[in-house]
Formats: sequence, structure tokens, C-alpha cells
Amino acid sequence: MNFDLDDDQRDIAAGARDFFRGSASPAAARAGLEGGRPEPGRAALSDIGFLGITVPESAGGAGRTLLDLAVVAEQGGAVLAAPSLVTPARAAVLLAGEPELAAGLADGSTSFAVLDGSPDGSAPSVDAADATTFLALDGEDLVVGAGEVVPGRPLDATRGLASVRLTSRRVLATGAGELWARARQVGAVVMAAEDLGGADRCVQLGVAYAQEREAFGRRIGSYQAVKHLLVDAWVGVEQLRSLVWWAAWAADANPGELPLAAAAAKACAAAVYEQAAGTLVQVHGGIGFTWEHDAHLFWRRAKVDRLLLGDEAEHLDAVARLAVAGALGT
Amino acid sequence: MDFDDSPDEAAYRARVRELLERHASELVRLRPGQEAVDPRTSEAELRRTQRVLADAGLVGVAWPAEFGGQGGTLMQQAIVSQELARAGVPALINHIGIGMCGPTVIAHGSQDQRERYLTRLLRADDVWCQLFSEPASGSDLAALRTTAVRDGDDWVVNGQKVWTTLAHVADLGILLTRTDPDRPKHAGLTMFVVDMHAPGVTVRPLRQMGGQSDFNEVFFDDVRIPDSERLGEPGEGWRVALTTLMNERVAIGGAGGTIGLPVEAFVQHARERLPGLDPERQVLARQAVGRAVVAALGARYSGYRRLTALSQGGLPGPEASAGKLAGTEAARLVADAGVRLLGDDAVYAATGEGDDRWQRTQSWIPGIAIAGGTDQVLRNIIGERVLGLPPEPRSDKTVPFSGGRR
Ligand SMILES: Cc1cc2nc3c(=O)[nH]c(=O)nc-3n(C[C@H](O)[C@H](O)[C@H](O)COP(=O)(O)OP(=O)(O)OC[C@H]3O[C@@H](n4cnc5c(N)ncnc54)[C@H](O)[C@@H]3O)c2cc1C
Repeated sequence: MNFDLDDDQRDIAAGARDFFRGSASPAAARAGLEGGRPEPGRAALSDIGFLGITVPESAGGAGRTLLDLAVVAEQGGAVLAAPSLVTPARAAVLLAGEPELAAGLADGSTSFAVLDGSPDGSAPSVDAADATTFLALDGEDLVVGAGEVVPGRPLDATRGLASVRLTSRRVLATGAGELWARARQVGAVVMAAEDLGGADRCVQLGVAYAQEREAFGRRIGSYQAVKHLLVDAWVGVEQLRSLVWWAAWAADANPGELPLAAAAAKACAAAVYEQAAGTLVQVHGGIGFTWEHDAHLFWRRAKVDRLLLGDEAEHLDAVARLAVAGALGT
Repeated sequence: MDFDDSPDEAAYRARVRELLERHASELVRLRPGQEAVDPRTSEAELRRTQRVLADAGLVGVAWPAEFGGQGGTLMQQAIVSQELARAGVPALINHIGIGMCGPTVIAHGSQDQRERYLTRLLRADDVWCQLFSEPASGSDLAALRTTAVRDGDDWVVNGQKVWTTLAHVADLGILLTRTDPDRPKHAGLTMFVVDMHAPGVTVRPLRQMGGQSDFNEVFFDDVRIPDSERLGEPGEGWRVALTTLMNERVAIGGAGGTIGLPVEAFVQHARERLPGLDPERQVLARQAVGRAVVAALGARYSGYRRLTALSQGGLPGPEASAGKLAGTEAARLVADAGVRLLGDDAVYAATGEGDDRWQRTQSWIPGIAIAGGTDQVLRNIIGERVLGLPPEPRSDKTVPFSGGRR
């Protein structure tokens, strides 16, 4: 057994950290709420190759594993980067039999979004707001098409959420229910990885503030009421990291475990990120409640992500059903 | 990254299985639904079980060979633990000796002590206990009052210890005492190995909230301990104790998982019980089951990460405290869901058929949130040592113990 990233993955993470820190930020997420552009944006992500990480090399991608992608996604999540890597991960699964479309995904020439819910009026779907080409499940058919995009007023502008009604559709595959489900599980893992990055960052920022802010003649981090909030958030982040790595690994190395692992990771992510972001605001006191402070941008991401790709209750139910059906082994 | 056995690990596992099968008739086994065997009623069988396992090379797997161990890897130790659980062998009677006392003797004992004690410890020829907590000092261990006073070649010990697990069957214990009350509290402590059968040692059982008696109070009245039984230098007892405490957290929570509650058994229980609940309750029960399983998986895979780090040469650090905290929370969720699945029987101490497994488990959970560092103390440790948050102001660290709070 060896449950750790390898050197290659650590290098990938370091590179992704540098890229995202230089190209995205909570400030950009704030600007997005006032009409600014998402950062780093699709073009920059495709230039650095992050839209094609799991696309096969034959289709112009890097042909790497979901774990490699999750390691990158964590770094994007830490600075609230947009668009999400959920879409390329999910679309790469759906387009496994469509090399030309997959090439458009990887090189950024086609702006894809994957729709949740009905193609005749979808649920709010990640990064649909500025997409032009939509993948959807129509009955049991996987379809691709153009659509009419109806964004809502964003709670978190970095998620690019919009409802879409397809205005054209071409069937890519019939009997695609299982493929669709797997793609959604992969998407859930990547979102959990982005949430891991965000939650981890919340703990770091909270700890940094608790080390310097003073009240009643002491640094606030010395008060247990503050310290224990941060510790609980950190312990949660560490549990989440284990589940995200396991789930991302399982997607390629042990696909039979993916449904259980993805549901566990996503359920854990929902709770952990909300806790960490709430803690970040609380530890900052009044300053943390201001528009200018970054805390609410993580908080917004947490409030939105916990409901996307299935909420905590849905995933807990899935975990229970799968476990009872024998997914843990005996 | 992978979770499979390497070829070496697979070969080792096969050998362990073969050994366990070969010795099957000599080992105590848990009945289905049973999770522990009481040393009070089965001491001889439990000692024999550990001796058989030790002679087969399955105890102290990762201890250095010079101390009676197998000189193996932590991964091999983890494999043995998994295989013992799989074979239904209960916790080893000397788990405190193996987990805490032995490593302390290895780190701080004299060569003579190591030779005399360690092999016997692994074979459960001597069962060990840990005599740290006192009525007035648990979390604040360094405030302890049991004294040891030098008298010729001996030390004379007076005082009381409490909550001492296994003291009623133990032959030996590691005993933390105050030898210099005029120094600040952490500086005046000294550790000893004490013979539990020595004159002046009195052990009285204490009954826990669940009704069982796994721990005791222990009185020391003019107990003489030869100076050769000292562990570490006089006044160095705190440093010695930290070795014990660090190993304790690794032993309890370090391996991950739900601290002795196998999640597979819980899932099996859910499998049996869920269909009997009415449909609306099933929806709610599945939420509780799902939450418990997610917590258990989080603890398990975090344990795998720590095991990987340790087997690559890392040292057990304060991160093990996170394993204990998370494992305790997972165990709490598992126990709670386990009881709730009983339906109406959840308000009784046992089901109509007399099965009290989940109720017993439930009443054991509060103890694990206290033993080996309370949840709050562990949060302080993580906050200060892992996250680097400032410690609380402490007024008692520098003043002489005698002039301090007494
Ligand atoms: C099942 C079981 C087995 C045990 N076995 C052994 C054994 O074999 N050997 C042995 O020596 N001991 C043993 N103990 C004792 C155990 O180590 C102590 O009970 C534990 O350290 C707590 O000490 P205490 O009971 O004195 O509680 P206290 O320290 O008095 O704590 C009371 C409450 O105050 C809180 N508290 C204390 N200090 C702080 C602080 N600084 N910050 C925040 N909160 C704080 C605690 O979290 C707790 O909630 C066992 C205990 C149990 C329950």
C-alpha cells in the first residue's frame, strides 16, 4: 500500500499552484459579482493544458489520470479559479467515443458545459453561462447541441451557473445512462477537490488572522473557542483530502469503487467546506462580514457547491445504499 | 498510489494467514457479535493467546529484533492487525504494554531493563498497565501528587492512581511520580517500573457507566522500588511520559478507522435492520448510516495516509491526535446509528432477544473521548503544535510545584 501523491503529482501541484496564484484570486471572484470576467478564464486554462488533462493523447489531451486532474483542481479551488475543472473532467468521460469533440474540449476551441436535469430546461449547471455547446442526457440518449442560456443572479459568480434549454440536439450515444452517471461521479470528485483547496485555504487564512489579531490582551488564537473552531475545520479538511485522493484514484485504478468513493467525497466536501468557510468569517469578526474581505467569497463558493451535483443528503443516501449493497466488501 | 499489497506484503500476509490457521485451536476467538473478551473472566486464555502469537512472530512485528520484536515494518504490523481482526482474535491482553509501556522502555530503559522486560511483555508473561492519572491530575498530568522519595538503593512511593486500565490483571506498570516538589511541576517528575504484586500496592476495581469494570484505582502505601527500576533520569519523568503519550495516541487513533468498531459489522447490522423500518424512517436511517460510513471511511483513509508516511520513515507526530479525534467522532456516529437502527429497542439496554451489542457500544463512546487525551486536550495539541496557534497563558509552568497550587 502507498497512499500518497508521487513526485510527479507533487510537481503538477506545484506548477498548478503557481499558475493559479498568478492568474486568479478571490479579488477576481469579487469583481465577478459586479460584472467582471471570470479568471483565469477558458482560454488561459486551455493554453496551459488544464482543459485536456484527462482527454486521451490521441484527441490532443494529456491522457492523464483523474488523480492528476484533482491535484490541479485543488489548487484552482484555493484561489476560487473559474471556470471549473468539473466540466472538462466530466465532458472528457462523456466524449470518450467522440475524438473530434474531445479535441475541441482540450484545445478550448469549443466552449462546453454539461447540463444537469432536463435538456428542455436544465437545472442550474456549472459554467453554462458562457458556454456554446452543451452535453445533456435526453432520456437515455447522450446528446450535444446549442441552447438558450438563462443565467440567474449569481450568488457565486465563479461558478457560471445558468439554466439551458437546448435549441438543437444530436444524439452521440444511446443507452448512455451508465456513462452519464460515471461522468457525474467524476464531476463530483473534481468539485470535491476544488472544495478541498478552498476549505484548506479558509483554514490557512483563519489561522493566520488568529495568530496576529489581539483581544483582551492576548492573541485570539490562544482562546480555545477560536482555536478549536479552526482545529475542527482542519481535521475536516484532512478527512476530505483522504476521501478526494481515494475517489480520484479509484476512478482510474478501481472503477468499481468510484460510486461509493465519489459520493463519500462529495458529501464530506459539502459539510467540510461550509464549516471551514463559516469558521473563516467567524474568526475574523466584523471585518470578515465586509464586502471587501475575501472571506465571503469562499463562503459563497461553499454555499453554492454544497448543492451542486447532488447535495449532502443525496450523497449520504447513496453511500448508505451502496454500503448496504456490499460496496465496502465484507 | 495504490492500496494493494506489494508482492512482499502479499507474501507476508499469506504467511500470517497460514500461521493463524496453524494455531487456530490455541487462540481465543470472538463469537459473532462479540467485540471484546473480558480479561476478568478469561485472563488465562487471553495470556495464552498472546503467547502463542508471540512465539509465532506475530507480536511486536515492527519492534527491533534486539528487543524481542521481529524487526519488521509498520506495514507488516498493520497487516498482522488486519489479519487478527479478520480471524476474530480479540485485542491482545497486553495491548497497553505493547502500545505504550514497551515503547517507553525501549526509548528510556536501561539495557538491563530492556532485556528483562521486553520479551516477557510481548509474550504476555507480564501484563503491563499505565499508572499516570490521579484523582487531581488527568489532563493536567504534570500536576500529579504521588511521591517517590529516595531511601538508600530504593525509592518509597506513596499516593493514588486512578482509571488504571488492566491494573487488576497487570504484573507490572509504568508509574509516574513526583520526586522533587520544589521544582516546577514538569521538572520534578520521575518514571519507574513498578511490580504490581509488591507489598503496599492495592488495586480496587471501578465500575464504568456501562456497568463493566475495565479500569481501577491503585493505592501505593510505602511501596519500595529499587533504583534500578527507574526509567530515565530523576527529574526527567515528563520527557519519558511524553514518549508514552505520543505512542498512546498512535495506538488509539493512529491506524485510522473507528477505534475498534469495525465498520463492516455496522454495515451488516444496517443490512439486517433497514428493511424492517417503515419507509419514512428508512429514509432518515439511511442518512445516519451514510454519515457514519463517510466518517469511518474518512478516518480509515486518513489512517492509510499516516501509515504510508510512517512507513516512509516519518515520525509519529501530533498529527496522530487528529486520527484519534476523527476516529472518536466516527465511532460516535457509528454507535449512534447502530442504536437507532434498533427501532423501539433503542430505549432499552438490550433487544428483546437479549442482544446488547449496540447499547454497550453506545455507553463506551464517552470513554474514548476522554481516555488517552480528551477531545479538548487533543484540540489544544493540534491547535498549538500542528497549526501553530499561540498557547494559552499558563501561570503554573515556572513556579515550584510545592509553592504553586497546593
Ligand atoms: C476508559 C478510560 C481508560 C483510562 N485508562 C487509563 C490508564 O490506563 N492509565 C491512566 O493513567 N489513565 C487512564 N485514564 C484516564 C484518562 O487519561 C483521564 O481521564 C483523562 O486524561 C482526563 O483526565 P481527568 O479524568 O482528570 O479529567 P480532567 O482533566 O479533570 O478534565 C475534565 C474536563 O475538563 C476538560 N479540560 C481539562 N483540561 C483542559 C484544557 N487545558 N483545555 C480544555 N479543556 C480541558 C477536559 O477535556 C474534560 O472535559 C482512562 C480514562 C478512561 C475514560
